[in-house]
Amino acid sequence: MDKANKNIKEKLGTIANGMGAWLIILILIVVMTLINDKFFTVSNFINVFRQVCVVGICALGVSFVVLGGEIDLSSGMSATFAGCNAALLITKCNMPVWLAILIAVAIGSLVGLVSGFIVTYWKIPSFIGTLGMQYVVQGFILITTNSMPVTGLPDSFLYLGRGYIANVIPVPVVIMLIFFIIGAFLLKYTPFGRSVIAVGENPEAAALSGLKVKMTKMLMFTLGGFCAACAGIVMTARLSSGQPSSGSDLSLQALAAVYIGGTFNGSMFNTLAGALVWGFINNSLNLLGVSAYWQKVVLGGIIILAVLLDTIRAKVSVKKQ
Amino acid sequence: MGTATETILELRKINKAFPGVKALTDVELMLKKGEVLALVGENGAGKSTLMKILSGAYKKDSGSIIFDGKEVEIQSPIHSEELGIAIIYQELNLIQRITVAENVYLGRYPEHNGVIQWKQMYEDSQKLINELGINIDVHKMLREMSLAEQQLIEIVKAVSTNAKVVIMDEPTSSLSQSETELLFDIIRKLKEKGTSIIFITHRLDEIYAVCDRMTILRDGCYIGSRDVKDVTKNEMIEMMIGRKLTNQYPSRESVIGETVLEVKNISDGGKRVKNVSFQAHSGEVLGFAGLVGAGRTETMRMIFGADKKISGEIFIRGKAVDIRSPRDAIRNGIGFVTENRKEEGLFLRSSIKVNTVMVALKKILKAGLYFDFKKEKAYAEEYVKKLHTATSSVNKRVMFLSGGNQQKVVLAKWLLSDADIIILDEPTRGIDVGAKREIYEIINELVAEKKVVIVVSSDMEEVIGICDRIIVMHEGVISGEVLKESFSQSTIGQLSVGG
Repeated sequence: MDKANKNIKEKLGTIANGMGAWLIILILIVVMTLINDKFFTVSNFINVFRQVCVVGICALGVSFVVLGGEIDLSSGMSATFAGCNAALLITKCNMPVWLAILIAVAIGSLVGLVSGFIVTYWKIPSFIGTLGMQYVVQGFILITTNSMPVTGLPDSFLYLGRGYIANVIPVPVVIMLIFFIIGAFLLKYTPFGRSVIAVGENPEAAALSGLKVKMTKMLMFTLGGFCAACAGIVMTARLSSGQPSSGSDLSLQALAAVYIGGTFNGSMFNTLAGALVWGFINNSLNLLGVSAYWQKVVLGGIIILAVLLDTIRAKVSVKKQ
Repeated sequence: MGTATETILELRKINKAFPGVKALTDVELMLKKGEVLALVGENGAGKSTLMKILSGAYKKDSGSIIFDGKEVEIQSPIHSEELGIAIIYQELNLIQRITVAENVYLGRYPEHNGVIQWKQMYEDSQKLINELGINIDVHKMLREMSLAEQQLIEIVKAVSTNAKVVIMDEPTSSLSQSETELLFDIIRKLKEKGTSIIFITHRLDEIYAVCDRMTILRDGCYIGSRDVKDVTKNEMIEMMIGRKLTNQYPSRESVIGETVLEVKNISDGGKRVKNVSFQAHSGEVLGFAGLVGAGRTETMRMIFGADKKISGEIFIRGKAVDIRSPRDAIRNGIGFVTENRKEEGLFLRSSIKVNTVMVALKKILKAGLYFDFKKEKAYAEEYVKKLHTATSSVNKRVMFLSGGNQQKVVLAKWLLSDADIIILDEPTRGIDVGAKREIYEIINELVAEKKVVIVVSSDMEEVIGICDRIIVMHEGVISGEVLKESFSQSTIGQLSVGG
């Protein structure tokens, strides 16, 4: 009897371990369903998913950078830059929506490439390198927009952030899920993904195994810039305007999603879980009527707790071996 | 006080279990004052676990520890240090960006009213280092020191605590012969002062050179203790592995073919490697002997494209090849098993599977685009089987493997890449006797397949045991080449110090 109990305990432990941040979401859902009847509804869930789209898409790109052993503090500003650029090109230059988006995303990718170059070839720690980039990009945003919101966007653009498919599924959610499916595939099934993990774990061994370490780093930063720019387009469409100050918190939220999700354990969907944890907690606190000031305190605590949990999990699994 | 028969440390019936594994079963150990005790056993025999119990890193499940006549419960590493037990781990625990003196007194800086007494610290540590016969300036930054010097500094640090028992876990693995001699002198000096030493090594000759007694462990069990002078090397190995020993170096019919690799006058601009030229043939095991720092590793790194060569040419099968990066070298069929497998060879957090295919990612691609995980698993399993890697699954992370099995994973990586020139830098460092022999057998299989194998090794007996020809380097130049019929430790030793 005792032994059977132990077995069940161990099995549950393994399952909990495998679920990672999804477990936090599950617990949150169960608890919230019990204490608040407005929580467990289709519309509320869709709401949460809609709210995490921008962070999610941005965090996907940041995941590659973090897995590759670096950090990107400029993603939020890259997002804002891309959103404002697209808005400017459409409203001021009368460019077709698709072309404006293409150019804005290309510029965003270029920003990532430059970050990658600074980190890889000038050997500047990515924390400082991308911190610098963040300010440079912010400066450009203020120069191009003159610090004024860019309004007057057409419906075809707004659809990307506010539209619904079949009147139920928000378009940005679909965009985010497509991004994650492609991202997860890239990470798991391609030499590029494998190189990112190898370079992040042991750059020396990666180089001596014949992997293109520099190329990998450049590419992952470029991908980071690309995703940030795409997130910025969605964000701008959601806000109906290019807001020069909109993405100020986004870099750190994206990083938080990566760490809360525990993406180091190998799956890109962990980042999605990380973003959702963030979203669900925000949502729960709103439903419970917690003041916005206290929400910050709770969210900050959650980041630390989630990473702590991950550290403990890693220790336990090492001990088991 | 101080008579040689007095016991300083006694372990009785020590037991320790980890989840699923019994690491130690009723292990005994007795250490006298001023004695050097060799603790021998294969990897996984329980030596490290036992030492970690002594150092306070692990807690024993049962048994008793009697230290200096009193039974003690070692609570923590600090407690262990306070009792007078100092331990020198295989991995260095030093800080690169501070001076030698600071490293020696790390955490115990001489203070006066809360202010560090720098002058005193430098003077004391320099005195200590000089007394031990080491020639190092304590004002220098640690990172300016060679690996061997750092190892010696680690030992000085242990000695500086005036420990009664010093445990040395493979202290010689990164030392050259002369540095090893220096270490032995230090050990003898410590002995005279009445310090007791527990010495762990895989180099059995060193036991005869410096130890008084030995305690043998196997599979976590206590096998016995003997006076070193009463035990032959073969008897010792038999006790370690629990069976009769066949020759440590498996024999081989050498069939040496045409020249495959030719290196002409390569140099790194005169820093560590000066105009090195040699040839290596198919089916040949070519050894590179010499002291640590003679430029052997640097030569190999240049051939592999890991470091830039300033001048010189490399030919493979008569054709000049331009190698500027490891990628170029791999494309030309060169594989490089580096001397530090953990730092340069492996992705420790990743699985055996992932490590095995790292160089040959192309081989597991479907349609040249995405991975076929079935193939990945099949390749990994093939090499686990071929190289007798001991593991429950290819999904196991390599950090959980023993040194010998980790080395096999590194080898698998290069074999899967179809390298036909394989450079092995210190391939058996920190590997136990049984696994060593397996590595030698793999080398034999490689040359039987007409591959070229180049072995860089500081273990002279090993180079002599497995190579067909030995090139000796000294201070960046080739000081001589020795053919099989004239192999001898004295010839090679002479050439190592410049001929």
